[in-house]
Amino acid sequence: MTEPMLSTDVQRPETTVPPVTSQADARIRVNGLVKRYGTLEVFRGIDFEVGAREIVTIVGPSGCGKTTLLRCLNGLIAADEGEIWSNGTRVTEPIAGMAMVFQHFGLFPWKTVYDNVSYGLRMAGVPAAEIARRVPHFVNLVGLKGFEQAYPYQMSGGMQQRCGLARALAVEPNVLLMDEPFAAVDAQTREILQFELMRIWEERPTAMVFVTHSIEEAVLMGDRVFVLKGRPSSIKETITIDLPHPRTRETLREARFAELREQVWSTLMSEAREAEFKLET
Amino acid sequence: MRRELINRHAPFVLSLTAGMALWEVVGRYSSPAFMVPLSATLKKLWQLIIGGTLITQFLDSAALFLTGFVLALLIGMPLGLLLARVRGLRVGLEPYIMILYATPMVALIPFILSMMGFGFAPKVLVVFLFAVFPVLYNTIEGARSIKPELIEVARSFRSSEWSLWREVMVPYTLPYTMTGVRLAIGRGLVGMVAAEFFLSSTGLGQMIMTASQNFDTAGVFAAILVIALIGIAMMRLGRRIETHFARWRN
Ligand SMILES: Nc1ncnc2c1ncn2[C@@H]1O[C@H](COP(=O)(O)OP(=O)(O)OP(=O)(O)O)[C@@H](O)[C@H]1O
Ligand SMILES: [Mg+2]
Repeated sequence: MTEPMLSTDVQRPETTVPPVTSQADARIRVNGLVKRYGTLEVFRGIDFEVGAREIVTIVGPSGCGKTTLLRCLNGLIAADEGEIWSNGTRVTEPIAGMAMVFQHFGLFPWKTVYDNVSYGLRMAGVPAAEIARRVPHFVNLVGLKGFEQAYPYQMSGGMQQRCGLARALAVEPNVLLMDEPFAAVDAQTREILQFELMRIWEERPTAMVFVTHSIEEAVLMGDRVFVLKGRPSSIKETITIDLPHPRTRETLREARFAELREQVWSTLMSEAREAEFKLET
Repeated sequence: MRRELINRHAPFVLSLTAGMALWEVVGRYSSPAFMVPLSATLKKLWQLIIGGTLITQFLDSAALFLTGFVLALLIGMPLGLLLARVRGLRVGLEPYIMILYATPMVALIPFILSMMGFGFAPKVLVVFLFAVFPVLYNTIEGARSIKPELIEVARSFRSSEWSLWREVMVPYTLPYTMTGVRLAIGRGLVGMVAAEFFLSSTGLGQMIMTASQNFDTAGVFAAILVIALIGIAMMRLGRRIETHFARWRN
């Protein structure tokens, strides 16, 4: 029944990776998280930590609960068991210092770029003068200078997500949650945005949890890649990405990058292959 | 540029001229008991204006209409948002709203009369009842169509309930409310005239009644023309405001 792994000359991932970060250094700590929707158990036994300057990427098949996990981390929905800690607080509702970038962009269509970017600051009660000083900086940072007064419907998907990114960055979070942020933009734009995000992150590193469908993206962005799978799903593998920072276009050409990509690929695909064989018998 | 302008407005101007000509011609050949020509109506209108009657009556009606209408807005919109946000309240109240929206409000006037008599307040109530339901109904429908994702974005950025209303619910819902407001203008004017007919007789409604009782057909037409013009002007204004608040929609 169990097929041998695809023959790649990559060593199998160690199932337990020595923690990259010490307890004290962790920005997010998740213990024994379980989430159910009625009778559907989405995931169980989720345990991990994310360091203050660490990017964790999460890959997994559609419907395995990636968005659900991020919504729990953000405090938007409650988990059924287990707990989430961030910055010394137990997360039960959205907390300051955390910001999310949404797959559907989540821009307010009646607000201009400027008003969308300043939204989080206004919600945080930042004084108007301070907002006026900060917003242009973040608008520039994501390359939207000159589009301050544009409405979302006037912009391409890529520009809309730049705006979504600026809105999240503007509150200067120390935890960034990214739910397939570049999944809805075309391939070229996606590549541009990936490197821009990495450039921005290198300038001001934060803890980041980055969900994606793309194995390439997971390896390029991540310090560790979590493979989420199973029913209910859990973190089946953790692959440490020992590629040097800063990650740039050069990274894509490194032999080690290809190895790691294959490693994540085979881990992810083993289940898909099993499922395929089950169907045939 | 000029030509374009002419082309664009030609059908409207032509149809308006034809309509006025038709009124004039038909008016001249009908019994003055039913109808008078446009020229006679305008002449009467002019007399009413310089005589001062029209202005007084108009101001009277305007006060009634505006009071009822503004109350309908001030109550319809916040209540609509509240009902959209609080599910239990909505489920409980929706049947009553539907029934009242569907009821011809004129039918309620005798009841209002017996309850409240002949003052200003019962008339305001009539205008209010005519105008409030389109505002309320459209606000509820609008506010309920907000994408839950956007509410979640607001929560993710730690929005307070008050901020959620101010930054998300109200701006999103305003174009819908304004559609209701345009409907409410028409219905409110009907309510105004009905109240002036059936409750204490004042304003433009009274002008129509008195003129009609005196077989002054020109006077009737003059008052109707004024009401129609007010209606058109307000609807256009409503449309303007609606587009203004909806400029973010492509
Ligand atoms: N509000 C909800 N009520 C009931 N079931 C839900 C709800 N939200 C998600 N689910 C279910 O939970 C499971 C996980 O959904 P989730 O959106 O987290 O998956 P995902 O990994 O993000 O998928 P994708 O890669 O397609 O975005 C799915 O089976 C989904 O149908
Ligand atoms: Mg998802």
